[in-house]
Amino acid sequence: MSLILKNVSKTFVGKQAVDNISLSLEKPGVFGLLGTNGAGKTTTIRMLLGIITKDSGEITWNGKQVDRKSVNFGYLPEERGVYPKTKIFDQLMYFAELKGMKKQEAEQSINKWAKELKVEEYLNMPAEKLSKGNQQKIQFMTAIIHNPELVVLDEPFSGLDPVNTEILKNIIINLIKNGKYIIMSAHQMATIEEFCSDILILNKGKTVLQGNLKEIKETYPANRVEIDVNQDITKYIEEFNLEIENVTNNNYVIKITDEEKAHNLLNKLVSNDIRVDKFEIKKPTLNDIFIEKVGE
Amino acid sequence: MKDIFTVMKFTAKDMVKRKSFIISTIIILVLIVIGFNVPNIMKSLNGESSGESKLLIIDEQNIFEGSLELLKQSDLGYEIEISNSSFDEIKQKIENGDVDSAIIIEKQENDIKIRYIVEDMTMMEGVPENLINTINGLYSNMQISKLGLTEAELQSITPNFEFSLEQTKEEKANGNIFAMMLMSIVLFYAIYFCAYQVSSSITTEKTSKIMETLVTSTKPRTIVLGKTIGIGIVGLVQMIIIVGTALISAKCFLDEELINAVLDISNITWYLGIITIIYFVLGYFTYSLLYALTGSTVSKPEDIQSANTPVAILAVIGFYLSYFTMMNPTSDLNLFAAIFPISSPFCMPFRIMMGLATGTEVAISIAVLIVTILIIAKVAIKIYSSAILNYGTKMSFRDIVNMYKDK
Repeated sequence: MSLILKNVSKTFVGKQAVDNISLSLEKPGVFGLLGTNGAGKTTTIRMLLGIITKDSGEITWNGKQVDRKSVNFGYLPEERGVYPKTKIFDQLMYFAELKGMKKQEAEQSINKWAKELKVEEYLNMPAEKLSKGNQQKIQFMTAIIHNPELVVLDEPFSGLDPVNTEILKNIIINLIKNGKYIIMSAHQMATIEEFCSDILILNKGKTVLQGNLKEIKETYPANRVEIDVNQDITKYIEEFNLEIENVTNNNYVIKITDEEKAHNLLNKLVSNDIRVDKFEIKKPTLNDIFIEKVGE
Repeated sequence: MKDIFTVMKFTAKDMVKRKSFIISTIIILVLIVIGFNVPNIMKSLNGESSGESKLLIIDEQNIFEGSLELLKQSDLGYEIEISNSSFDEIKQKIENGDVDSAIIIEKQENDIKIRYIVEDMTMMEGVPENLINTINGLYSNMQISKLGLTEAELQSITPNFEFSLEQTKEEKANGNIFAMMLMSIVLFYAIYFCAYQVSSSITTEKTSKIMETLVTSTKPRTIVLGKTIGIGIVGLVQMIIIVGTALISAKCFLDEELINAVLDISNITWYLGIITIIYFVLGYFTYSLLYALTGSTVSKPEDIQSANTPVAILAVIGFYLSYFTMMNPTSDLNLFAAIFPISSPFCMPFRIMMGLATGTEVAISIAVLIVTILIIAKVAIKIYSSAILNYGTKMSFRDIVNMYKDK
């Protein structure tokens, strides 16, 4: 199975929302779709889900043109929403039926996921009585209740406390283990780095960076060194004309342009009998790469 | 088709479970039952029994020479008692509720004075007409019989005219126009408020941000149609329950004569019932699809009112076109109102009820309405599909036109 977007574009009343983007998801796993607000992520997701039509290009799932009925999708939108006055069970059953599930099958699935997400006790309550985090879990259930092949998660962890974030992370890991294809859009780069093997960064509707996350990071030279020492080393750092980015309790994060200078600094510290507990030359984070690519 | 049924079932179930819906329906039904009991309530408040009211007649000077006894057999609607009580005694009897009213007949020089006594004359316009006519007739007959006329002579001086009301126009309207107007108002409110629910339901889905999940689960066309049909069925059942309660209440609590005076029952046929339901359904679809369009263009509940104003104006124009032309039901303008799609649902059922609509007119009117619905549905579904995912401020007319062209 594979999802392929080829040269897809979309214009709204004279504004180019998505400009000729291509991506492919050819094996189970998580694909990261990144971009600033208004970069075209939601438009791309809506096109691949068939909610809006594309102006040009091709979107295929398993070689067939994508439309809502031909692909078994699951979608957690960024805009969280539930029917406030309706019982949770009734709304989950409604969406399950719309996704083609039989009543008994839907009931089993609702109970299974309610147990996993720890929301069993809320099934007979109206949604307005639930906390925002629990409402979000209900909406996540709506996205996966019908066992979809492809799941699109837009900001899945925003607004969740650490305990619920952990529950959701474990479920996503299990979905990957079960061979699901996931497209994830998030603003927390740490989350993307944790889950995504491949990424695409959009800026003003255009692709600015795309590829395997590990390979992308390899192409970037190291730009920081982290040193943990037992005393103030500012004078040695200044001696090598280096800039301190951050310092806390003798833990220094120093900007570097080449690794050689970092090694020279280490030698200097050792030769001056300074105890070095940690010395780590660091590659740029996804956050750095993102800011470099889309920062104005 | 299965999805339309699923959306329809969910919408209808959600609507009837709402407390506001249950409470408003119960209040309407209670008001109807109370409304039809108003004459009985008034009677019991006035201390009147449900039978004939008691009338005391005093003819101390025997001016009617005992002929007043004949009134006891007449069909005046009074239980008559003839006595020679004094005014104080009469006053006492009325205040005690032994009698409801009294008539005192007195001769004053050459005139005969008849006084009609009641406890409180505030709500009365004058002496009841039927009493005046009956007493006048009784006195004339008494005097004529003294002349010794033959049967033929008596007949020749007794007027025996047959009055009838006729018109020069060929078309003739049957039934009470005011009753028709009242029913037209009921139909207008039923259509208008059911259709308004569609707009409110769509905006609720937008404001609760459930829309995005919904449109990935099924097609926008399915949502609009399922929702419209679901609310329509609930509205139709509600209207049938309300009209049914009104008819049963009328039958149980009102005098048959009163009902017949207001409504010609013979005009209420199965054909009329089916046609009224057809016009309710078609009228509802016309306005609910327009409301689906306007409802999809707003993201905040406070914007619904202003977004829906154009549709409300259209509905009011349609209603008044029908309402005012009903005063002259044989006019060409009333025929136009019965065919014009924004007014025909409020007008045509009553043209049929008045016996004015021909089969061809009904067929043309329904065809025009169906074509209008199809055009509105096409435009509404197209705009709804794009507008529902727009979460900004309320869309302007220009935005809507651009969206229609853009999609």
